[in-house]
Amino acid sequence: MKGAIQIFDRFHEIVNERVRSSLDERFCYASDASQIEGLPDFVIRPKSTEEVSRILMICNEFEIPVTARGAGTGLAGGATPVKGGVVLDMSSMNNIIEFDIENLQVIVEPGVVPEKLNRTLKSSGFFFPPDPGSSAICTIGGMISNNSSGIHCIKYGTTRNYVLDLQVVLADGRVINTGSKVLKSSVGYDLTRLFVGSEGTLGIITRAGLKIMPLPIAKRLVVASFDSAVIAGKVVIQIFSAGIIPSACEILDNTTIAVLKRCDPNLVFPNLGDIILFEVDGTDNSTAEQSYRIIEICAPLAQSIREVSSKTEMGAIWEARRLVGAAISRLDPTKTRVYAGEDVGVPIKQIPILIKKIQEISEEFDIPAMKYGHIGDGSLHVALFIDIMDPDQWERLKRAQEKIHRTAIELGGTVSSEHGVGLARAIYMRDQLGNDFLEIMQSIKRTFDPKGILNPGKLSL
Amino acid sequence: MNLDLRVISKCIRCGNCRAVCPVFEEEGWESANTRGRIMIIKSLANGHNQSPEVLESLNACTTCGLCIENCPAGINPPDLVEVARRELASLGIMTEVQVELHRNILGAGNTFGERLDRLAWLHDRRVLKKKADYIYFAGCLASFRNPEISSKAFEILSRFGATVLQNEQCCGSPLIRTGFDASPLIEHNLREIDRVGAGAIITGCAGCYTTLKNDYPSQIDIISISEFLADHLQEMELRRLNLQVTYHDPCHLGRMNKIYEKPRQLIEAICSFEEMVTNRKDARCCGGGGGVRAGYKDLSLRLARRRLDDIPQGVDCIITSCPLCLRNLSDVSNDKKVMDIVELVALSME
Ligand SMILES: Cc1cc2nc3c(=O)[nH]c(=O)nc-3n(C[C@H](O)[C@H](O)[C@H](O)COP(=O)(O)OP(=O)(O)OC[C@H]3O[C@@H](n4cnc5c(N)ncnc54)[C@H](O)[C@@H]3O)c2cc1C
Ligand code: SF4
Ligand code: SF4
Repeated sequence: MKGAIQIFDRFHEIVNERVRSSLDERFCYASDASQIEGLPDFVIRPKSTEEVSRILMICNEFEIPVTARGAGTGLAGGATPVKGGVVLDMSSMNNIIEFDIENLQVIVEPGVVPEKLNRTLKSSGFFFPPDPGSSAICTIGGMISNNSSGIHCIKYGTTRNYVLDLQVVLADGRVINTGSKVLKSSVGYDLTRLFVGSEGTLGIITRAGLKIMPLPIAKRLVVASFDSAVIAGKVVIQIFSAGIIPSACEILDNTTIAVLKRCDPNLVFPNLGDIILFEVDGTDNSTAEQSYRIIEICAPLAQSIREVSSKTEMGAIWEARRLVGAAISRLDPTKTRVYAGEDVGVPIKQIPILIKKIQEISEEFDIPAMKYGHIGDGSLHVALFIDIMDPDQWERLKRAQEKIHRTAIELGGTVSSEHGVGLARAIYMRDQLGNDFLEIMQSIKRTFDPKGILNPGKLSL
Repeated sequence: MNLDLRVISKCIRCGNCRAVCPVFEEEGWESANTRGRIMIIKSLANGHNQSPEVLESLNACTTCGLCIENCPAGINPPDLVEVARRELASLGIMTEVQVELHRNILGAGNTFGERLDRLAWLHDRRVLKKKADYIYFAGCLASFRNPEISSKAFEILSRFGATVLQNEQCCGSPLIRTGFDASPLIEHNLREIDRVGAGAIITGCAGCYTTLKNDYPSQIDIISISEFLADHLQEMELRRLNLQVTYHDPCHLGRMNKIYEKPRQLIEAICSFEEMVTNRKDARCCGGGGGVRAGYKDLSLRLARRRLDDIPQGVDCIITSCPLCLRNLSDVSNDKKVMDIVELVALSME
């Protein structure tokens, strides 16, 4: 690399004081919410596509690694600069550029936070549906790059289903658009979908056209508890077979319930069994009918069933569910949640088997686990928690997460349903996807980024 | 460094604090956010990074506590920041502003290094009592910068048998928040308090309140002036004022000590009241606390301007119950008057 000071000056010419290389700032960007670490040499907060393009030209010329970062809430080390170089903090590019409600879309910069977007959209009766638990903090750029999704993806799909167009800066500084304002098109390769989930390895997203949906008028929530996850799983299939697609269908195990109650002592949940939260949305009539049918289907198999009537209680339940993953310390202050093996997914029919196997793994390695997730789409969050001051527990945790990932692959599933691969799950790429698949990915990578400067080390590339 | 890695490591770097830290919102760098501060503190604990540059991050925390409310891991970041500031200061790593503050307070017994009479606002010293049920603790700001407020506060409180300390000194809050030992001041004030033999101390400053309550090893009751007055509404002849006001919750009174209702009760007894957009536990910070006004005035005033965006339509005046919030908000408010709750009460008693 050319002299660090000269490089710094070049960046400074472009972004003025929005570049830093002090040790303390670099420390702050040395990891995301995962355990992966890597110290950047520079942190830059660009404000425009032109700035990103000029920065990339310099990086490409001097072969300086560039890692894009949104809010750094990723759980796989995607935004961690494991090879040093530049971290591009995109969260300051946070303008909503256009509300084009008549064309059912918005155009945003990548640093826009989805919850803020939805707060603004609310008055026009629309919303951007993908809703990861981190919606109040993460960025649209991070969501697109990880193909994020949340509790409502069972009905509304993942981020991938909402991206119509992307403005992307390629490694050499060229700027391309991958789509347009049309809601569908059959022309050319679908580069938009290629960039979704590419984790910053193919280009830097500087603008996105997103499809929006009308807000449902009514919602209802049914809380049902079951003797076992196997029975719960059967009920879910029966509900689908009855032609009902809930807007959310979340399974929570006993430990999760205990933590939820600690987060909000006012929450009322049954004390035993696995609980499923069924949410339906639509009109007053349709939700009334669907929740009635859900209760009817659950009745012969459930231990208890309750429809949550107040909006406030419904809000409180979902808010606590949103934070539950990180809240284990509230139950046991000596334990901390470590995000590892936290995002596996299997075909929905296999969910009860997965839950059982994870319980066995938890017992084998003597690492307590909280299990919760989107039973309706086959993804399960496993929250392993340990005393982080104990090296032995770290060691057992590593072995447990390895086994969880391998188990998901054996069940025909995936090591990541929504959090992405980053570096944390890169070692499983070959086993899950196969050699040929990886080779094709590598040649696509070379086409977009011949010098390999974009987020090197990630996705096994 | 004496920093507890177990507590620091409770931060799982989820980033939830990004949604609320007002300093981060203003500055945009991770180092200006709670999570960044904790990562820096962790690097200090691991002995990686002890450059004075870390102060840019740690000293720019207003200790507002918004992050505490939003942290799923249940940690207390401003506490960690204060401990880290203390450790750094003990190694001589501090800013000029910290050095000056320390010199002023320990030299003159007040934040400003003023050598003038602290009780100059008291028009007639003969009203001082040797023994009393209540002590009115004015604090440095009200004593030296808002004498009219301390004067009015005391005028009201003396009806209830309050006195002031003959020789009050800074409560120690600015020292504690910026990493210094405040025990000489605490010991001095405690001796003075003991001499009066009062059952409770009443203060009109949120910083003094939280310090007297949480940092003084004393069993004496600490009451904020808005609580006291709200509890004695019947005994004051208040007339209703034709004013529409809103209330800014001082962080160290509201979030830190959960005093939300009493100031509102008091205001509603006097005039019509409307909430700010963010209020109670979610109330935005005025930007003045934690040594930020002293050390980073420009940042502090930018935070104050953001707070003004929360004012509801049609109000005449912003009421608060802390002289530091009062100063910071007044400095940026062009068209709206900012008033201490004591001034509002005094106005309605005129
Ligand atoms: C408490 C918590 C709860 C979570 N819940 C969920 C959940 O329910 N569902 C879910 O899917 N995820 C969840 N996540 C994971 C994470 O929040 C999401 O993946 C999120 O979308 C990441 O967004 P970010 O802005 O933080 O991205 P970052 O972590 O900063 O980056 C993620 C990836 O995107 C790339 N990237 C970021 N911006 C750009 C850009 N402009 N151009 C190109 N590449 C870019 C980065 O290089 C990196 O590879 C959760 C995380 C936490 C901490
Ligand atoms: S919210 Fe709490 S746990 Fe999460 S990053 Fe901030 S301080 Fe750490
Ligand atoms: S106390 Fe306030 S300023 Fe300090 S880190 Fe927390 S939210 Fe930010």
